[in-house]
Amino acid sequence: MIHAAGDPELLAAARAGSSAAFARLVERHQQGLRAFLRRTCGDWALADDLAQETFLTAWSRIGTLREDASVRAWLCGIGYRKHLTALRTRARDRARDTAWQAEKPPSSSGTMTDERLALEAALGELPADQRACVALCLAADFSHAEAAEALGLPLGTVKSHVTRGRARLLQALGEDHDEG
Amino acid sequence: MTKADDRLAALFAEDAPPARDPAFTAEVMAAVARRRLWSDLAGLAVAALIGGLVIWALWPLLGPAIVAASAGLAPIAAALTVALLAWLVADPAMVHRLRGES
Repeated sequence: MIHAAGDPELLAAARAGSSAAFARLVERHQQGLRAFLRRTCGDWALADDLAQETFLTAWSRIGTLREDASVRAWLCGIGYRKHLTALRTRARDRARDTAWQAEKPPSSSGTMTDERLALEAALGELPADQRACVALCLAADFSHAEAAEALGLPLGTVKSHVTRGRARLLQALGEDHDEG
Repeated sequence: MTKADDRLAALFAEDAPPARDPAFTAEVMAAVARRRLWSDLAGLAVAALIGGLVIWALWPLLGPAIVAASAGLAPIAAALTVALLAWLVADPAMVHRLRGES
């Protein structure tokens, strides 16, 4: 029953105290949230820690989510704010700033292609909010409006971040920047 | 969606976490259970503190009333205890039922 339920039903059950329903929400959204955080912070271990903290925060604030709201956007929003807090904390330790690439584990195939390396490097050079917009809209199929809601940014800002970020990534991959 | 977007999406998809990760889910749920336990313990501690304060504040009124009532209730409590023991001795199966054994 729980496995077939949609997000609204799972939300309602989790609000009523069902751990099984919340576990199903975690199972359903962990991939998207962890992928988003990996792309925004670049450090996979930190991304997974942030994802776990995000779910803990979501559990304690589950009563505040509107019934018709997008769960994945809500989770990414919480995760993004946790990432910004972690960034501020990390900024105090300048020695770790250059670790973005060094800490990155190899891709699942064992070796990273030149294209992947170029993409990771270009992504790492984007400002944090631009990177988050790119991670949501280009990698996770969020609409601009959904990304704006998740990140708490104006719609126009999200659109311009996505356009600029996309151009930078395509440039790094040696593609001509088109308007598509 | 242009060809370039498809290429970007394919590159992004290469490092996506697994769609099902029971270990991650179990870790999260264990952390949720710990958080819930601490929250319950904190609630119980606050309730116990408030209860203690209420009893302490009302003790000047409650103390004499309890002392007066206990003298009258002692024979009734003794009679109830004897009746319960007699019942359990007469019906040993009741002990198992009270323990929740079938």
